[in-house]
Amino acid sequence: MKREVVIIGAGPAGLAAAIEATKNGCEVLLIDENRTAGGQFFKQLHKFFGSQAHSAGIRGFEIGKQLLKETEEIGVEVWLESSVIGIFAGKRVAVLRHGITETIEAQSILICTGGAENPLRFPGWTLPGVMGAGAAQTMVNVNRVLPGKRILMIGSGNVGVIVAYQLLQAGADVVGIVEGMPRIGAYGVHAAKLKRAGVPFFIGHTIAEARGKDHVEEAVIAHFENGKILKGTEQKIDVDTICVAVGLRPLSELAQMAGVKHDFIPELGGFMPIHNENMETSVKDVYVAGDTAGVEEASTAMDEGRLAAVSVSYSLGHLSSQAAEQKKEEIRDRLASLRQGPFGERRMNAKKRVVDMGVNL
Amino acid sequence: MSQIFDVAVIGAGSIGTSCAYYNAKKGARVVLIDAGDIADSTSSRSDGNILVCDKQPGFDAIFAKASQDMFPKLENELEYKIEWTQKGSLYLTETEEEFEIASKFCSDMKECGIQMRMMDHQEVLDDEPYLAKDVYGGLETISDGSVYPIGLAYGFALAAERLGCVLSLHNPVTGIQKEEDYFMIQCKNGDILAKNIVNACGVRAPFIGKMVGLDIPIQARQGQILVSEQTFRVARRKVHEFGYMLTKFQSGSYERPVSERVKRNEVAFVFEPTASNNFLIGSSRSFVGEDIRSEIDVMQALAERAIRFFPVIADIKVIRAYSGLRPFTPDHMPIVSDTPVKGFYIAAGHEGDGIGLSPITGTCMADMIAGDKTFMDLSLLSFQRFCS
Repeated sequence: MKREVVIIGAGPAGLAAAIEATKNGCEVLLIDENRTAGGQFFKQLHKFFGSQAHSAGIRGFEIGKQLLKETEEIGVEVWLESSVIGIFAGKRVAVLRHGITETIEAQSILICTGGAENPLRFPGWTLPGVMGAGAAQTMVNVNRVLPGKRILMIGSGNVGVIVAYQLLQAGADVVGIVEGMPRIGAYGVHAAKLKRAGVPFFIGHTIAEARGKDHVEEAVIAHFENGKILKGTEQKIDVDTICVAVGLRPLSELAQMAGVKHDFIPELGGFMPIHNENMETSVKDVYVAGDTAGVEEASTAMDEGRLAAVSVSYSLGHLSSQAAEQKKEEIRDRLASLRQGPFGERRMNAKKRVVDMGVNL
Repeated sequence: MSQIFDVAVIGAGSIGTSCAYYNAKKGARVVLIDAGDIADSTSSRSDGNILVCDKQPGFDAIFAKASQDMFPKLENELEYKIEWTQKGSLYLTETEEEFEIASKFCSDMKECGIQMRMMDHQEVLDDEPYLAKDVYGGLETISDGSVYPIGLAYGFALAAERLGCVLSLHNPVTGIQKEEDYFMIQCKNGDILAKNIVNACGVRAPFIGKMVGLDIPIQARQGQILVSEQTFRVARRKVHEFGYMLTKFQSGSYERPVSERVKRNEVAFVFEPTASNNFLIGSSRSFVGEDIRSEIDVMQALAERAIRFFPVIADIKVIRAYSGLRPFTPDHMPIVSDTPVKGFYIAAGHEGDGIGLSPITGTCMADMIAGDKTFMDLSLLSFQRFCS
């Protein structure tokens, strides 16, 4: 079986890329291991930031619905419940689908498999009731099940505070947000909502232990300085659920398997594939976009997907050099404006470093 | 003038570390050099089989048996956990014709002192209850065992170090210059001087050989392995198909009843249980240079062949695949030998047997360099056989 473009992962980056590439005339196959496309979109009940070009003010799941509708309208071939088990020599993608492994020969491959939550290890971390914040978000927003009644959130970044707020909205009691750093990590607008709802922030604290017989019954938190727990500062909190939101890392196993050069970029989640200004990696015709190419946000992921799709369309001869350059410039301008502000600038600088490395490969 | 070592061993796989150990044990001042770490290449990508069952009757089998007989004492001697177990091995035959070839092989091997016996259909099924019900019969080799290959190389290297051997790791050799009565080995971290060199670089042995003008006919023969999830004990010991012999030696007129995919990847079923109840599935053979990427077509062929012999494997997950390079010689025999360059020795080309043959190879190499008689005539392993 042959396809011009195989896109792995139908989240924000993959969907946007599939639409862009198809519109440009590419023959696209979009693959996802889940039962529905959309990645994390359908967990995101909150409104997006940015300008109108970035769908600002629209809730995440609405953007997801819009993209799905568009893929249907323009007839993108989508394989769901299909796991890519490897990328092999000659750009062959092996897919486990309905119990059978099929091999697809691609001219270009775009890997946008997203990110994974970082774990945090502490005594009791394997007790039922300790979970990733992303898992709690899926339960409450997608499956409409509350993970617990009294919840402690570890990590005050955007994921931590947004999920905490959504748990609160769904009727749970969020008993506190624990943050190891001496400041709140999330955007002020998200943190403020929790503040107003009376949720305490334990700044400069960490989780010392989860206790319970066969389920979390109590959390012990303590002051945290220079990477160490201060003895004697422990306090117990009565909880049944502990959510961990201590950052994400790029999921790049497939890129590693394809032989893509990686490096360690802490601002973007750690070990990640290096790419150039067109999202192409050190392996010709293998592209990355979205959290796989460094953890950012859904809005940057969509534009990175489009950027990769334009580059692929040009290299396959579906776009003239002039048309491609014009599209790329528009997308790069949008990406630059998304990477503004103290949070964005840090990522912008890290991305510049990645691209400098990528260009010099 | 810096010190001149008696022996420089280049290559810290199972063969090189063994050569370093047995030379040091004889009192030689030894340096062990490697471009990377201990067991960085083939030794960390192989199974740990210590077999005589897959040798050819005659010298091959006797040499392998001598090596195998050294393993039971090795763990104590090296003071290192090498996980030696000796449960024997089982060959499966698929057809009556294969069974006949195996029977002849069995009696030839017995004449060389190898303990083997034929097992009929019922005996084989009683031995391994999960086997496919149509397996024709089997051949058991009593003395076969297995080790943890990385542990073996570390055991040899660290024991050698305790005997005064210098470990010079992460130090690639860039050139060799022959002086009057010693070699100057140019390395990344400076020159090393030695009276004798043992080239134990496996698939890279030709690269080192070229530095002294020798053309060593070793080629990389790639093999891939599947690793299962932790599961119940599918088989209690090493099980493989007798057709393995046929693919290894590419000999005989017998054709196995197998699919195109199995045939083109030269796949023969090999099952090896591990201490943690994962199991390994081999084996494949191909010449693809030094490419060690996994190949889906080979992976599928390996799985297909495994399911043919143990249908229950169809429901067990594979969690990993990896491949390694066997140092292949045209006649399937290693080179354990001196060379026309005085003081330059070769211990390489063991194809898939480097782990099992490492103790005897190191022992013979130490004897040769010391000018002592080896335990048997090794002219079949001489480099000279490729110099006509």
